[in-house]
Amino acid sequence: MPDNQWDEILAAAAGEVLETMFFAGVYGPAEPGASLTGRHLAARLGFEGTPSGALTLSISEPAVRALAANFLAADDDAAPPVSQLGSVVCELANMVCGSLLSRVKTEEHFRLSSPELLPEGAACPPVPPNQSLDVGDGNIDLWLALD
Amino acid sequence: MAFRVLIVDDSPVMRAFIRRIILLSGMEETEFLEASDGCEALNVLRAQWVDVVLTDINMPLMDGAEFVRRLEADDVLKSLPVVIVSTDSTESRMQQMLALGARGYVKKPFLPETLRQELERVLGGAYAR
Repeated sequence: MPDNQWDEILAAAAGEVLETMFFAGVYGPAEPGASLTGRHLAARLGFEGTPSGALTLSISEPAVRALAANFLAADDDAAPPVSQLGSVVCELANMVCGSLLSRVKTEEHFRLSSPELLPEGAACPPVPPNQSLDVGDGNIDLWLALD
Repeated sequence: MAFRVLIVDDSPVMRAFIRRIILLSGMEETEFLEASDGCEALNVLRAQWVDVVLTDINMPLMDGAEFVRRLEADDVLKSLPVVIVSTDSTESRMQQMLALGARGYVKKPFLPETLRQELERVLGGAYAR
């Protein structure tokens, strides 16, 4: 599959997950790497199959807080605790990866690893992200690396 | 009608999300039990009866496939309806899980309505009462 086609289905997968599970929309493309300019959280998971690879997702902290509040139905007085934000980012990465792979026509199972929250300050891939999305309260960058 | 639902997922935030969606779907009197993998779920089910199990596939210690296999091998628990709720949504995986004994399959991401319909289908007449 050409790289630009992967990028398209990655954007479609992220949009579907944000809309159906986080009740949020994608407002359009963001500056590549925009999520990395302030406080952010990042998660990574690998997948095995044809193809194998890894997905890395970075999201700016205001966006995580907004998405977590939607996902967990928290109101302003009971914002999700910081400890839950990382779990929400991992679940977001997991679902984007699952939605992406479900769009790949194959007879084979994919095996997804458990998403891992990257330590604060850990480097995201040293290449431009495949997708950068403006989600209103912040930005999301996505890197897809295929073996 | 009050139901007792066991949610099996290693992500606490996903368990919380599923609880919320079920309550919003009109099953306000539902009682929830939770487990973070198949092993823990089997221990719960040996102690308490539930009406339906919602389980992820990709979990540590005992994954969803092995969990469904163990339920099918148990004379008492094999009648328990199991619905898979997973990001792993390739056709071959769905067919594998249904062949193992799962009664339904909900792909993540899902609309709240999709989960409600699947529960309604699996619980049948009991849901409508």
